[in-house]
Amino acid sequence: MTAVLELSGVSKVYPGPPPVRALDGVDVSIAAGDLVAIIGPSGAGKSTLLHMMGALDRPTDGTIEIDGVDIATLSDRRLSGLRSHRIGFVFQDFFLIEGITATANVAEGLLYRGLGRTERKRRAIVALERVGLGARLDHLPNQLSGGERQRVAIARALVGDPAIVLADEPTGNLDSHTSEEIAELFRGLNADGTTIVVITHDVELASHFPRRVEMRDGRLAEVVA
Amino acid sequence: MRSRLRVLDSVLLGLRGLASRTARTILTATGIAIGIAAIVAVLGISASGRADLLATLDNLGTNLLRVEPGSGIFGTGSDVPEEAAAMTGRIRPVEQVTQTTRTEASVRRNDLISELETKGITVLAADLDLIDVLRAELAEGRFIDAATSQVPTVVLGDVAAKRLGIVNLDPVPRVYVNDTYFTVIGILEPMEIHPDIERSVVIGYPVAAELFETTRSPTSMYVRSAPDFINDVAEVIPATVNPEQPDAVQVSRPSDALEARKAADEALTNLLIGLGAVALLVAGVAIANIMVISVLERRMEIGVRRAIGATRGHIRIQFLIESMMLAGIGGVLGMVLGAAITVGYAASRNLTVAVPPQGLALSVLAALAIGAVAGLYPAIRASRIPPAEAVRK
Ligand SMILES: Nc1ncnc2c1ncn2[C@@H]1O[C@H](COP(=O)(O)OP(=O)(O)O)[C@@H](O)[C@H]1O
Ligand SMILES: [Mg+2]
Repeated sequence: MTAVLELSGVSKVYPGPPPVRALDGVDVSIAAGDLVAIIGPSGAGKSTLLHMMGALDRPTDGTIEIDGVDIATLSDRRLSGLRSHRIGFVFQDFFLIEGITATANVAEGLLYRGLGRTERKRRAIVALERVGLGARLDHLPNQLSGGERQRVAIARALVGDPAIVLADEPTGNLDSHTSEEIAELFRGLNADGTTIVVITHDVELASHFPRRVEMRDGRLAEVVA
Repeated sequence: MRSRLRVLDSVLLGLRGLASRTARTILTATGIAIGIAAIVAVLGISASGRADLLATLDNLGTNLLRVEPGSGIFGTGSDVPEEAAAMTGRIRPVEQVTQTTRTEASVRRNDLISELETKGITVLAADLDLIDVLRAELAEGRFIDAATSQVPTVVLGDVAAKRLGIVNLDPVPRVYVNDTYFTVIGILEPMEIHPDIERSVVIGYPVAAELFETTRSPTSMYVRSAPDFINDVAEVIPATVNPEQPDAVQVSRPSDALEARKAADEALTNLLIGLGAVALLVAGVAIANIMVISVLERRMEIGVRRAIGATRGHIRIQFLIESMMLAGIGGVLGMVLGAAITVGYAASRNLTVAVPPQGLALSVLAALAIGAVAGLYPAIRASRIPPAEAVRK
């Protein structure tokens, strides 16, 4: 299996004051087709790790390779290009744009790819159907339930066919039943070949994931079943 | 693998940003609209006013001099010799000379009205070419000619006609001058720079001499000269018409009054434009302010856009376009409002509308430029927000 993501000796120190070592020499490799849960207590450095994985931030130390490219060699513009083509983010608070439809929100995920409007819309509809929202295309975010909103956000992450989807506590605002549905959606998408990394502090939810890693004080360890 | 944002998409993005904050957009754009409207209206109104002023100046010409007996340095008036006009005509660059003489006669509507009620109307004896030299126009009838100047006929100045209550020549009106009825054969148009003639009634020298013993010693002389020599002519006239007492001769240029008005108009226009510019400056600051607030409020949106692949440049251009469109909307509104005010004003004053189209285009461009300047700092600020920070709760 080829590695989509390869982190070696990655550290991140927030300058402070006082300085915070959020990541402390993390080594991890994510292979194509992986479905990984990152668990760990609040403040352990999970979000920081996810931002590093998604080229949203740069490490203080260590190397990060995405698709075999060391991101330290890339300019800020190139990093943006990398994100637009290879990465899909999902956030705890969905971060949808109010006032535009589900389809428009998903199409927004292709905005910086230079595609035409009709093509963006066509692909957005396909992505919404993939997450089971084919019947909610023209709904506005405030007309959708929490679970549905998160599905829209997941569709937005998927719409550009990224090499990897990174989700930061996607079920943090959802009840346990809806959370289970979202986890089920991730498993289904993964079965279709999408590489997914999900942060959660819901251990029960994580137990259904084939691979789990645990973060504690900026260090990472594989959880062996 | 580069990020790419289509131009049309970036414009639509800006439009959506404004549309999602309608009230704020309208309020902020209003500031620009007021400033632009003020400037367009001031420019339009002054251009319309000036167009007419220049046309009047052009019509009347600036090469006309008026010569009158002055009070002299000793305070005593003295008559201008009867040959003054003939002598003035001999000055080389002089093209035309004509003259009028104030008579002692008074004019009334009829013999039932007291002789003392003159209503400030003067009876003038005039040469036949007076209206030609002054380039005056007749509203009704005709001017006195060789035949009618011999008999009791009269042409009324515009103001004099109104004071006498005469609006047209049908039926042919008569006025009572001293103790003779004169037939009114013409009414003059208003004369912008000759208010004294507007307030007079004009008769021929022959009939004036016969009935009122008026001499040809002029009380006013009008001289047209070659434009380039007007100052030289003005200088030599006093000594020419009254060699003994040149100080007792006053030479003036009636068009100077219009020139002065033009200068005053321009000064006022500049002042008002300055005020408009200050309004625009304030509006620009308001836009910058609103855009800074908008950037703070939209941290999450900025974070998401960076996460889905927007470059710093894309964020910058989004806010810049939004700011420019905000100002541009104000600019277009202001332009329409300013043009409407100009047209309305010009119509109410019977002025020729002169709203220069380049001026209108320029006003919108100016608004866009203000938007660009005002939006620059907020846009740069937005683009500098670290994406990982922006997506944190
Ligand atoms: N911008 C920042 N500046 C300083 N400290 C930060 C910043 N962001 C996160 N931290 C700190 O880094 C540590 C890891 O944070 P985070 O990655 O958000 O943890 P988690 O997602 O596991 O809760 C925490 O102690 C947090 O307070
Ligand atoms: Mg976190």
